[in-house]
Amino acid sequence: MPTGFGWEFKTQYQRCQWEAMEYKDREYAHALYEKDGEIARITLNRPEKRNAFSDRMFNDMLAGLHQANDDPEVRVVIIRGAGPCFSAGHELSSPYQEESPPVDPRYNPTLVDYYGFERRRCNKHEDLLHYPKPTIAQVHGYCIGAGEAVAASCDLTIAAEDSQFGIRGFGRFTNGIANLLLWPAGSNKAYAGRVLPEVSGKEAAQMGAINKAVPQDKLEEEVNKWAEALSRLAPEALTITKEWINGMLDITGAGAAWRSHYGAHIMLQYVRFHPSEVSLYKTRRDKGLKGFFVDRAISATPGEKPAA
Amino acid sequence: MMSTIIYEKKDKIGWIILNRPEKLNAINDCLLEELDQALAAAEPDLEVKVVVIKGAGKCFSVGEDLTGLGTSEVLPPERGGRLSTKRLLEAERRRSRRWEYIFNLAKPTIAQVHGHCLGAGLSLAMLCDITIASQDAVFGDPELRMGLLPGMPLWLWLVGIKKTKEMLYSGRYIDASEAEKIGLINKVVPPDKLEQEVNRLAEGISLMPGDGLAICKDGINAVMEARGLGEAWRFTDNMQLVMQQRSIEPGEFDFFETRDKKGLRAALEQRDVPFTSLRAQEEEG
Repeated sequence: MPTGFGWEFKTQYQRCQWEAMEYKDREYAHALYEKDGEIARITLNRPEKRNAFSDRMFNDMLAGLHQANDDPEVRVVIIRGAGPCFSAGHELSSPYQEESPPVDPRYNPTLVDYYGFERRRCNKHEDLLHYPKPTIAQVHGYCIGAGEAVAASCDLTIAAEDSQFGIRGFGRFTNGIANLLLWPAGSNKAYAGRVLPEVSGKEAAQMGAINKAVPQDKLEEEVNKWAEALSRLAPEALTITKEWINGMLDITGAGAAWRSHYGAHIMLQYVRFHPSEVSLYKTRRDKGLKGFFVDRAISATPGEKPAA
Repeated sequence: MMSTIIYEKKDKIGWIILNRPEKLNAINDCLLEELDQALAAAEPDLEVKVVVIKGAGKCFSVGEDLTGLGTSEVLPPERGGRLSTKRLLEAERRRSRRWEYIFNLAKPTIAQVHGHCLGAGLSLAMLCDITIASQDAVFGDPELRMGLLPGMPLWLWLVGIKKTKEMLYSGRYIDASEAEKIGLINKVVPPDKLEQEVNRLAEGISLMPGDGLAICKDGINAVMEARGLGEAWRFTDNMQLVMQQRSIEPGEFDFFETRDKKGLRAALEQRDVPFTSLRAQEEEG
């Protein structure tokens, strides 16, 4: 059903989004694709923006996944970030027509359009979770928001000890898309993690939210070791095993949890902020994006607030 | 008279001992059949309040008997065999229903683990309500290295998503302290304290009212069922069948063919050598 919003609201039989993203003749820019024998690497590549997700970066990443899937030689995909970090999350300063940032109130979409939008946005992560080949997130520095969701959707996450995982949200409300972390075991630990603004790679490994934390200078070596080991397995057997594990996740209700997450995004859009609270749109309009970051940090810090 | 299982009752505790020490308690059809018998004897017995499962000799169990002799219950059917799909599904259901029966036994169960605890041996330990291990215990499931589905759903319920994938994709072995850390087992004790610790715990449990224990256990398992465990068993049966249809590409490692041509030891070596980098790292860490 076409909508006035410019995207199609697809109810079923939806092709996954990486499958729809063409890689032939693509000039990779915001994410790079390279192949080294049986291992493909997708490198998030906007270091000057701390690899914040623009639409272009998402699309280049999805095209890379498509290319790696079509290449029978590729057996493992590594996702990593260029420059100072893995990813700082959604790009909050990208043009409001883009999908990546939260929906701008100027759109004033109908509820169904809006739901379709959120569904499409979150589906990129779901599609990564269900990607047929094994995936490893190689995390250093910030791994925040959408970046954390990408890492959580990979099969394995190996991180630098001093990397930082977290969700900052666009108000003070922090809603973990990392609900995968809560699923289904260890949720008590994960919830405890959610009330903390951020956890280090080391803490995340202790929580069981990621597989391993190593010193940053050992990160690449460690990830390569795992990628190489996984590349030795029979690819079909590995894919079936992954499908089995993810299928059990669906049985435990993970599919419904994603849907509730679309809903949470939408509800966030209708949150009414108390004058003392920080709203992305209002603060960004009045003080610019940097001003929003400052105010958000102040509001998220316990204790006396300086006068606004 | 049972040949691969010893079952004895002592002070309200039923002891089930996996007893193929010369084969490191590898699990074959006979052992499973006798395990069924022992559990069937223990479950209705009002004098038994708690069941302990342990291994005789060097270890708990190295897992499935991979020789192919008397192992139709534990190994997949021969490739290109002529069994109907219905028969294949029956076999998988029998396998998972046996595991479900052990998991839902109306008495508390304790696995007392020392030495290797791998594959189906680990499944057995995971199915017990409580697992106590000695420091020398080693846990892992290398089935995927042989192209088999490591089809034990409980992984996901016990240790979470990332660890499940890490353990099953790599087939790596972990020691008892790591197993305790990730929630795979309850407690690690020094080897010479293992028996004593399990006895202490079993005695404690045996002071509880028997009906109360059964109902408490059922309630806890019901929570896992509510989170989809029951459906996961059936889904696992189906995926086992899917996996059995896999064809082996030319040049790909075929565990069973290698076993038949070069012997079991050579096949195991070929299975595990590509993963030694992960093992070396474990020894470092």
